[in-house]
Amino acid sequence: MTLQEFQNACSEIEREYTDKISSAADLASVEELRVAALGRKGALTELLKNLKDFSIEEKKTAGPAGNALKAALNDALDKKTAALAAREMNETLNRVELDLTLPARPLAAGRRHPLSVAQKRMTDILSKLGFTWAEGPWVEDEKHNFDMLNIPKHHPARDAQDTFFAQTGSPLSMVLRTHTSNVQSRFMEKHKPPIRIMAPGRVFRNDSLDATHSPVFHQIEGLYVDKNVSMADLKRDLSAFMKGLLGDKTEIRFRPSFFPFTEPSAEVDVKCVFCGGKGCNICKGTGWIEMLGSGVVHPNVLKNCGIDPEVYSGYAFGMGVERLAMMMMNINDIRTFYENDLRILNQF
Amino acid sequence: MKILYSWLKDFIDIDLTPEELAQKFTELGIEVASVEKKGADFEGVNVAQIIQIENHPDSDHLHLVTLDLGGGKTQRVVCGAPNVAVGQKVPLARVGARLGKNVLGPAKIRGVVSEGMICSSDELGLTNTRARGILVLDENIPLGTDVRSLYGKSDALFDLEITSNRPDLLSHLGVARELSALLNLPVHMPQIKDFPGQGESLRVEVRDEKACPRYSGRLIRGVKNAESPELIKERLSAMGLNPKNALVDVTNYVMFELGQPLHAFDRNEIDGDVIVVRRAENGEKFTLLDGRELTLDENALMIGDQQKATALAGVMGGQNSGIKENTQDIFIESAYFDAPTVNKTSKKYAVSSDSSQRFERGADIGMTETALKRATELFVAACGGTPSEIRDVYPSEYVNPVVRFTPAQINGILGTDIADETLKDIFSRLALHFDASGAEWTFQAPSHRRDLNHRWDLAEEAARFAGFDQIPAGDSRAFVGFSDNPKGVDLLEIFSNKLASLGFFECKNIDFLGEKELAAFGFEPKNAVKIKNAMAKGWDYLRPTLLPSLLKNAEFNQRRGSADLALFEATRTFALAKGFPAETYTVSGVLCGRLTGRPFFQGQADKPDFFFLKGVMQELLKDFDAVSFVPSQNAPVYMHPKICMDVLVNGKKAGVFGALHPLTLKNNGLKAEDALAFELSLKPLEKSFNAQLFRPAKAVAQFPPSLRDLSVLVNKQTSYADIKAILENTPLSVALRFDLMDLYEGEHVPADKKSLTFTLAFSAPDRTLKDKETDDAFNALVQALHEKAGAELR
Repeated sequence: MTLQEFQNACSEIEREYTDKISSAADLASVEELRVAALGRKGALTELLKNLKDFSIEEKKTAGPAGNALKAALNDALDKKTAALAAREMNETLNRVELDLTLPARPLAAGRRHPLSVAQKRMTDILSKLGFTWAEGPWVEDEKHNFDMLNIPKHHPARDAQDTFFAQTGSPLSMVLRTHTSNVQSRFMEKHKPPIRIMAPGRVFRNDSLDATHSPVFHQIEGLYVDKNVSMADLKRDLSAFMKGLLGDKTEIRFRPSFFPFTEPSAEVDVKCVFCGGKGCNICKGTGWIEMLGSGVVHPNVLKNCGIDPEVYSGYAFGMGVERLAMMMMNINDIRTFYENDLRILNQF
Repeated sequence: MKILYSWLKDFIDIDLTPEELAQKFTELGIEVASVEKKGADFEGVNVAQIIQIENHPDSDHLHLVTLDLGGGKTQRVVCGAPNVAVGQKVPLARVGARLGKNVLGPAKIRGVVSEGMICSSDELGLTNTRARGILVLDENIPLGTDVRSLYGKSDALFDLEITSNRPDLLSHLGVARELSALLNLPVHMPQIKDFPGQGESLRVEVRDEKACPRYSGRLIRGVKNAESPELIKERLSAMGLNPKNALVDVTNYVMFELGQPLHAFDRNEIDGDVIVVRRAENGEKFTLLDGRELTLDENALMIGDQQKATALAGVMGGQNSGIKENTQDIFIESAYFDAPTVNKTSKKYAVSSDSSQRFERGADIGMTETALKRATELFVAACGGTPSEIRDVYPSEYVNPVVRFTPAQINGILGTDIADETLKDIFSRLALHFDASGAEWTFQAPSHRRDLNHRWDLAEEAARFAGFDQIPAGDSRAFVGFSDNPKGVDLLEIFSNKLASLGFFECKNIDFLGEKELAAFGFEPKNAVKIKNAMAKGWDYLRPTLLPSLLKNAEFNQRRGSADLALFEATRTFALAKGFPAETYTVSGVLCGRLTGRPFFQGQADKPDFFFLKGVMQELLKDFDAVSFVPSQNAPVYMHPKICMDVLVNGKKAGVFGALHPLTLKNNGLKAEDALAFELSLKPLEKSFNAQLFRPAKAVAQFPPSLRDLSVLVNKQTSYADIKAILENTPLSVALRFDLMDLYEGEHVPADKKSLTFTLAFSAPDRTLKDKETDDAFNALVQALHEKAGAELR
């Protein structure tokens, strides 16, 4: 056999087996082709036996060519085997009939209470606005709950807060705090400005339990005291707070109001998030929803806490958690929060 | 405070619709609870009768209605009301009629021209019910009658919520003054006829000038009680009062008009000719106008003669001196009583009146004489009589403090840039004296504005009258510093989130419970915080434990069809420590029924048992140092006596967990054979929390361990904890980890024994162990178990 004949035979085998491998229909045919080409009596094996008759020079050309063809055929056979195996596996998988629409396996997963969810949202935003968390007692003396906050004895403003009185061994008259504002007097008594705190928590009012009143509810208080703090700072921060809470497009407005511990005082409304300010049932047609009370900290409050109102000024705000949660979670009876019905709890 | 629009117009010329006026009130910070429109606000609407109804050619709900207008004239209009019927008398507005602000023009409705409309009650502005359907009038009303004559003059009644700092707004004059400052319109005071006094009044002796800094009064002799004039009756009715007679009505009228409470006494019930203003004697008895008998103390301020009291000052008159139908001589009191004195009395004796509500907020000390003159005028006009001279005891004239400030300070408080001229304009409208000639301005409020005492008050006025929308959102400011949350707050959050992820639902409950629950949960009432004025029985104490509430929640949900419950609450609990209230963060939970996960097509979920709860507790307390669980020696009364463990932190008890006592379930109405509960107090745990800051990781083994199984027989009474202690404490030259694989009692095991099977994993940090090392360690453990616990290899 001449070298030329050897090379022609190689080309012939390559062409023939490449075609056959690529058109093999199943794994058995691939194995047959492997035997036919590369087996002990296979076409290529037989051809390579001729190598021994070539001169050394001829071997240098014919040998690598023959081995390369062997490797190429092996590779083509392996790839074809893998492809056919994958196809067969996919056919098996495709015969699986599992009803994926059956209900999910219920994991033992609980939930936080909707009020916790709402409060967390509020404290997260305030915390990003630089407010740190402060706490105060829930059973409080009258001095910190009222007197220091410019709510004097024998004043109708004090009567307006239906107060629970606690019986304790303390020489002071103790009440269940009627607002989170006791944290203002507690904190300012101990810390000098700058002060920027939030105080979430429970408050108590001796009020009947009905769809809109509960003797126990939650508030969140904000207080910022520093040099030159003004109503404009309050507006900036509350605007950011409300945007965080209700969305980027939220608009707020200030309305004059009265709270004993702030002067000037402002009621803060947000443009109704349900109708965009056009007027709907939820905003009672006004386009605005009352969200919280706020104002510049009354100079008497600063004085009572040992802070000089000629040097420092501050703002404070207080917001009801239930009110917000009821509105945003479409809950129209405050008692829902304290019934703890799993069918409600499971939704938040 | 109810404000009648037409009455307001006595004082100020406003031309605003009720809606516009309500908007102004809102801008001023006066909340409008309601606006009730009264009377007719329309013109050119007459009574007509329907004589024919045809279908509209182009609509199935509209009709062509022909009406008889009277005088032989008819008119055809389009009408869509569902209740229209032949024979009805209805209000017909023809082209040119005015309905509120709208003048009616011709309208083409589906191709038919309508030269008028039959009106509904809403369309006439009489109601705001949004009800469809025309107003059907009485059939006896003559055709052509002006419908306005059936409904009276147009008016509006505002119900304003006046905050306690603004008593000056509790009158029509006061509200008019506020509007005058906003709208820059003058206030017209009524032209009061000034009677020259004839004859002496009663003398007035004020024995407590602090409680009564001003007392004005006069007699009117020879009155003849009569019905009040129509205007007074109408206005008082609108305010919600039943007019009685002029002698009673005038005092109320003047109070609503000028804000000054007045009191009229029957002169003939006053002994002698001196009115005495004094403190009550301790134990003094006094019968109020409404018949209630009070026993007073020295804090109460009384009006009386030299023998007896005739009124509880500023609050209510006495039964002994009221005006009667045949009263001939009256003494009118127009005084100023100190606010705290009236508040104390009104609260202590639970007597409240329009008068006390004004005094306790602060009346206008400058108004007493004017109001007295106004009342005189109205009394005399209605009942005749001869007024005496006026007695006015006003030893030291009240003046408001002078506030000194700069416009920059006002703008500083508000963060605004309001022009000096605007501020001057606002303050001059509000002030008694205002001087802006220097760099520092001075402001003195009139007597009816006691709330304007310093520049912050003036800043609020500036913002109110310039508009709160003048306040900009300020520039961003520096961050003031960082401080971490209080530790208890973070722990509460960590526990709550872990419990929720372990399948528990968070509950929130009202913080009150009763004596019965205290006892059932082993608490003594004397150690609990009691509410002096509890709302309801069973809500007398603040909770020292959260479990009773959670059991109620479980029972509530069971009744609503949820049998599988995992509930928790995380909040404060309350106790008395040496008499002082002590508040602790507490986390408690209740588990009953199966686990929440219940895949119906793959069998039932496990029922959580004690060891599930133990796993929960372990997971909750994973990041705490020095925590251990030991079987309770004295389980709380509400727990199973033998299935209850104490949670110890550094040997101090921080809580319990385990099975609830079956009686606890029964007494709380829970339908379950068993249930689990836990209660943890966070206080002792705070210090042992170790995950707050970063912790170094422990190295993990690099070489595979050698595994051996170990099965031993021990006495039944031997606890797992004993065996565990032996395994942990036997000294070995290699590291050991072990897991309990099996616990077995029964066949092939003697009756007094149990079999424990462990998988033991021996290892060293730096090498794979040789068999001999593993064997030695294994044998050392077997020997230790045998010596210390009598364990035999199985």
